[in-house]
Parts: sequence; C-alpha cells; structure tokens
Amino acid sequence: MVKNITIFTTNTCAYCKMVKQFLNTKGFSYDEINLDDQPEKQQEAFALSGQLTVPITLVTKADDTKQVIVGYNLAQLAPAIA
Amino acid sequence: MPKEIHDLIAIGAGPASLSAAVYSTREDIDTILYEKGVIGGLAAITDVIDNYPGFSKGISGLELADDLKNHAERFGAQIRLGEVMSIVPDEGLLKLNTTDGEIFARAVLLATGCDYKKLGIKGEAEYLSRGVHYCATCDGAFYRDKHIVVVGGGNSATQEALFLTKFATKIDMIVRGDKLRASEILIDEVTKNPKIKIHYNVTPNEIVGDGQKVIKVAATNTVTNKPIDYVTDGVFVFIGLKPNTEFLKDGPVELNEIGQIITDDDLKTNVKGVFAAGDVRQHATMQIASAVGEGAKAALEIREYLNELARV
Repeated sequence: MVKNITIFTTNTCAYCKMVKQFLNTKGFSYDEINLDDQPEKQQEAFALSGQLTVPITLVTKADDTKQVIVGYNLAQLAPAIA
Repeated sequence: MPKEIHDLIAIGAGPASLSAAVYSTREDIDTILYEKGVIGGLAAITDVIDNYPGFSKGISGLELADDLKNHAERFGAQIRLGEVMSIVPDEGLLKLNTTDGEIFARAVLLATGCDYKKLGIKGEAEYLSRGVHYCATCDGAFYRDKHIVVVGGGNSATQEALFLTKFATKIDMIVRGDKLRASEILIDEVTKNPKIKIHYNVTPNEIVGDGQKVIKVAATNTVTNKPIDYVTDGVFVFIGLKPNTEFLKDGPVELNEIGQIITDDDLKTNVKGVFAAGDVRQHATMQIASAVGEGAKAALEIREYLNELARV
C-alpha cells in the first residue's frame, strides 16, 4: 500500500512527464519537486539516488519503507506502486 | 479466453508512429501504439526543434511530442505504456509478445526509432548518471555553474551543447573529426558561443572519476598523437544513433548490417503485414519531418493492405 509519492523533476525532462503520466493512469497522486524552480533541492535528490539525474521517484509505503526509482523505469515503478 | 486482436499495432510512439496513428484512426482503423520509453521519442528530449515546417519560431521537443500525441488520441489512437518483446506470424495474424501478454494484429508498424550510441570506453558505465549523461534536457540542470564536456560533432551534439550553456560556465566540445557535421545554422551558433570551446581531432579514451564523480576525460589528439586531459564535472555524449531493433534480432523481420529495418518503397518489410517507418528504417534521413511523412505513407499503405485482407 502506497502512502505517498514524491517526484523530482525539471521543466524540460520528457522522462519526468512519462512518470507522471504513468502514475496518473494508475490513479496515484504525487508531490512534485521541480528542480528548475527549487534548485536548492538538488542535493536532496542526489542524496536519495546517488545520481545527477531526473526523474527521481520516492515511493513511501504505508509501513514507512521507502523505494527510490531512478529514471522512467517501468520494470521498477510498476511493482513499487503495486 | 478470446484473442485480443487489433487492426494495427504500432511499436513506438515517436513522430512516425503518431503521424501514422492520426491517419489510420481517421480511416477508422483500430490502432494501438506501444511505447516502452518516452512518447515522442528522441524528439521529446530535444530542447528546441527549429527545422520542423510550420513552426517558424521553433518549438520545444516536449511540446511537439505533446501535440503529436494529442492529435493521434483525438481520433481514437490508444497509447499503451509497455514493451513488445517479439513479433511472429500466426495463422494469418501477427502475434506480439508484450508486457500485457499476447496480443494479435492484422498489421504492424515498426517505428521504434533510434537511441544515442554509447562511447564504449572505460568509466562510461561506471559513472552513468553520476557525471556521464545522454539527455541534456533531463540532467543539464545539475550542472549550474559547472564545467561540462560534450562529446560529438553532429546536429545533436551542437544543439545540446547550446542548450547546456543555460547552466554551465564552460563547455569543452570534443570532436573526433576535423570539422562539425551539423547544419550551418547550428555550426554558426556553436562556434560563436563564448562558453563553448571546440576541440577537433580528439578521441576520448577514458572517463576518469574519483569513485564518486567524474573529474576528467582522458583523450588523445589524433593529429599530434599526444594525450590530452579535459577537467570536467560532467560528460554529455551525443555521438550518433543506433536503431532500436534489438527485439527483432532473432525474429523474421529482415535487418541490415547495422540493425536498421529493410523495407521496399511502400514501407513493407519482408514479413507480410509488417511495415516500418521513421528513423529505424534503412535510408532514413533522421529528420522529424521525414518521419512524420513516412508515418502518413505507412498508414495509407496499411489501409490498402487491410482492405485487401478484408476482400480475401
């Protein structure tokens, strides 16, 4: 059971848009942190993923376990929200 | 359980496929598109598209991809986010093994496009997304006030280097040959940009890091044969394209020696009912305008093919 989802994005990132579209089609809401608008959050995105890229999706489950998915990766994203 | 059968399944949802879907759905052809990556393909991750007719001020790749998608969906095309793993002829239909299970089509359009080539040098895989990148519009924002190396000298490399000047303070552009292979307007812009320094006749040998992040590119000047290092915070690689046809390699569709799909002038492959369009096809011009045109032509050929099937 998913408690909440946060996605780190940028304005020009097509893969970010795909993650949002996938979550929308599955009926999930999410919080978005746009790194163009909030560049001070870059370090937070890097700390989560260890990578300098977006999208970074943080899925928090009902038991507060967390899963970080780097990029638009359906093989990881689909089971993370199942 | 009854078979799921569609008139047309297009694999890929880039400009060729979306254009085909506009035409096919307007002909009331039941059309499904499968996309495992980004809707709009490489066009969607391009900052600005300046050579697509009808947009005199240019258009962002993301915006064009959105418009193409909306246009196709307006007439009833259905885009599924998933992957097609194989295609085989099966009792007069085409059987597709997909992430949604087995699905059947009367006709298939292969429009999977291309992806950026990798350098294949030491450090490239190790520092992927930790200093090595293939998408400027995705990852450029992490290089505000940093120093970047761009590898490549074609249209993509020049276009993306210009985009990256929004963030970086300095860009070293490493070009294997003795000139850029981009359109004149891009060459003019990139050579005049004070943030970009172009280094010709340079071959990168290794992307060197400190275990956490990239610190330099070790290269060779092929004229002097001397080693040269480029100190950098990140490397963006745009050295050409490879067709997305891995999933076809063991199947019946004929490919050429570099993996492009072989078709006749009517965009038919060697497999009955399977057509191909866009950048994945042999002799493709790698232009969005051409891909859109081929998509339209493919849809009209598919319409004829389906009409013939119905008459049999």
